[in-house]
Amino acid sequence: MTALAVTTRRHNPDLAEWARRDSWTIGLMVLLALLLGFTKLIQPNYGAFGIQGLGISIMPLAFAAVAQAIVVIAGGIDLSIGSMMALTSVVAATQMEGQSGTFGVAVVAGVLLLGIALGALNGALVVATRVPDIIVTLATSFVWAGLALLVTAAPGGAAAPWLMSLTTGAFLSDWLPKAAIVLVVIVAAIWIPLSRSRLGVSLYAVGSDQLAAFRSGVAIGRTKVIAYAIAGLFGGLAGLSLTASTGIGTPVPGPYTLQSVAAVVLGGVSLAGGRGGVFGPLVAVIVLQLIQNDTTFLGIDPNYALVVQGVILVGVLILGSLLESRRAG
Amino acid sequence: MKRDQVARRLAAILAVTSIIGACSSAGASTAPTAAAQASAAAASQAAPSVAPASAAATAAASTGAASAAALSAGSYKIGYSNAAGVGNGFREEQVCTAKAQWKAYGGSPSALTVIHRNTDAAGQASDIRSLIAKGVNAIVFNPNDPSALNPALAEAHSAGIVTVSVDSYVTDPNTWNLYNNQVMYAELGAKWLFEQLGGKGTVWYTRGLAGNPADDDRNEGFQTVLKQYPGIKVVPNDQGVFTGWDPATTTRITNDFIQSGQYDKINGIWASGMGKQIVDAIKAAGKKYVPIADADIGGFVNQLLDTKDFPGLTGAAVSNTAAVGGAGITLALKLLNHQPVQADPNAGHPNTVLLTPQILDNTTAQGRADLQKWVSVPGLNALWPLSLSIPGWTTYDPNTVPATCSGG
Repeated sequence: MTALAVTTRRHNPDLAEWARRDSWTIGLMVLLALLLGFTKLIQPNYGAFGIQGLGISIMPLAFAAVAQAIVVIAGGIDLSIGSMMALTSVVAATQMEGQSGTFGVAVVAGVLLLGIALGALNGALVVATRVPDIIVTLATSFVWAGLALLVTAAPGGAAAPWLMSLTTGAFLSDWLPKAAIVLVVIVAAIWIPLSRSRLGVSLYAVGSDQLAAFRSGVAIGRTKVIAYAIAGLFGGLAGLSLTASTGIGTPVPGPYTLQSVAAVVLGGVSLAGGRGGVFGPLVAVIVLQLIQNDTTFLGIDPNYALVVQGVILVGVLILGSLLESRRAG
Repeated sequence: MKRDQVARRLAAILAVTSIIGACSSAGASTAPTAAAQASAAAASQAAPSVAPASAAATAAASTGAASAAALSAGSYKIGYSNAAGVGNGFREEQVCTAKAQWKAYGGSPSALTVIHRNTDAAGQASDIRSLIAKGVNAIVFNPNDPSALNPALAEAHSAGIVTVSVDSYVTDPNTWNLYNNQVMYAELGAKWLFEQLGGKGTVWYTRGLAGNPADDDRNEGFQTVLKQYPGIKVVPNDQGVFTGWDPATTTRITNDFIQSGQYDKINGIWASGMGKQIVDAIKAAGKKYVPIADADIGGFVNQLLDTKDFPGLTGAAVSNTAAVGGAGITLALKLLNHQPVQADPNAGHPNTVLLTPQILDNTTAQGRADLQKWVSVPGLNALWPLSLSIPGWTTYDPNTVPATCSGG
């Protein structure tokens, strides 16, 4: 898919065309609806509170998945997201401890800038060294994780109260978790203008076919660096949401890197680059979390959730390559 | 281009395998906390004829006696969250004792929801919210962090759910804490060891994990006793050496210690749960044993009792019971039944029950017989803590615990 194809696609409002193009996301939403129905079936009193809990629980992974999606769309992969979250989270928590709420605003801004800088550094290393993305970001993941431990060796720090209140409870209706609203508003405010801009088209073009993008006049290196920088911004948001939901920073990275890859794959973003969006991965994160919750409601070993998630992931990859080979053949 | 695609495929496969692999991966080091029986003797002497269920109410660790009403699972639903150390002996045993105690109260397996997985503090908060959504009456949990779960715990309280933190404390004001008195763990072992040396000599001080609350508490206890024995010198220094509660690290540290000749200059060892590895390394090096104080881990206690393979080994085991899981179930049921629970005024945290450790050594026939009782539970993993009962807090037959681990 070239840049040109992406541009024409967006100007076609035809519903059938939309269904065909986003069939994966639609399928995913059906899966989510079925899972919600199943959850209600096994846990009849599942309701507003369950949804609120879901909203808070998905937040860190959702931001991480958006970060991963943007890099993957641009033809890369970022294995340092989990460590980046740990680093930004401990920086936020240690800087906010004992400070005023107003100072907290400055810390949030600083941490987001830090995320952008870490991401840009990833991108610059990938572009400058021509070492595969997977190796560069694996290496930097150790750097970020080490720095996080240097910031604080043990979990600690604090979060500004206003930041914590952003993630707990509901807004307007019990069924609208604040965390989910914050998530959607932030992602939409960044992603919608981005995907409609020239830069957004370049991201898809670079991920889809670098040579074609280069011949169409896209600055490959610059686009890649920007993609990683935006991923860093979302990585910083993911780290902040960890601090906001727990009130502390933990220097040891959580399981977010690989789960973000899982969410991106399940969310219909092609690992070959150039295809997909951030909406699919967001739905995928909810699906993954709901599977985890259902093991609790069913009273079965929660580690089955990992097995189920892994099996789904393998299935998606097999399905994806089957579809691809059919298209090619 | 093609090579990049291959690389990305590989990444995805890596993701899949790691997610699945996470199932079996052992969690990070976890405090081999817990301990317990001591004032048991006192409690059972005071009420020698109490039935097991009411014995649960004669609090061994807390100062005051509670009501004698028997506890039963009734129609309650309990949630249990352990979010680190899957595969770690202490954490596994802790979960088993919770299941065994629930069974002993007549609870059906389906009314006890156990979420036992490795995750971070945010993940444990998510697990607690799942349990709230499930509509349980009480949540017993081993916290991944003292304060990170507070928002989720506050939600539990507004839903009318009783919360009990075991093995470590949380700062949430409405949650009850129940854990082993780690200060006393260190004091008992240190006092025994220093007495063995006649109050004079050099002691190798091997600790647990730097920054861990249980390790900090143990250090406090060790230092307190050390001050009372001016004739005792500590190596490598007053702050000791950290094993990280990791068997491989402990073996390496001990080998280095022996090879550098430092072992030949010491008279005793204080250990924080890694005694088996230390004794094994001394035996492998063909050195003479020095008295050692450690925890009630099966492997170590078996060494103390094995005079054939470990001739001349003198040691003491301080209990650090993992039965805090079962005790947590008892505490939750007491709170649900509005039975009085006495908080320990010296715990340093409100709403806290501290369990008193017990020390047994192999220098007397009585001590050996008591140690033998600890290792008599069939099917118990050698790397797990041995003391399975906490008088006043657990009522199950310890022999049933290993079966609970493998079954539902």
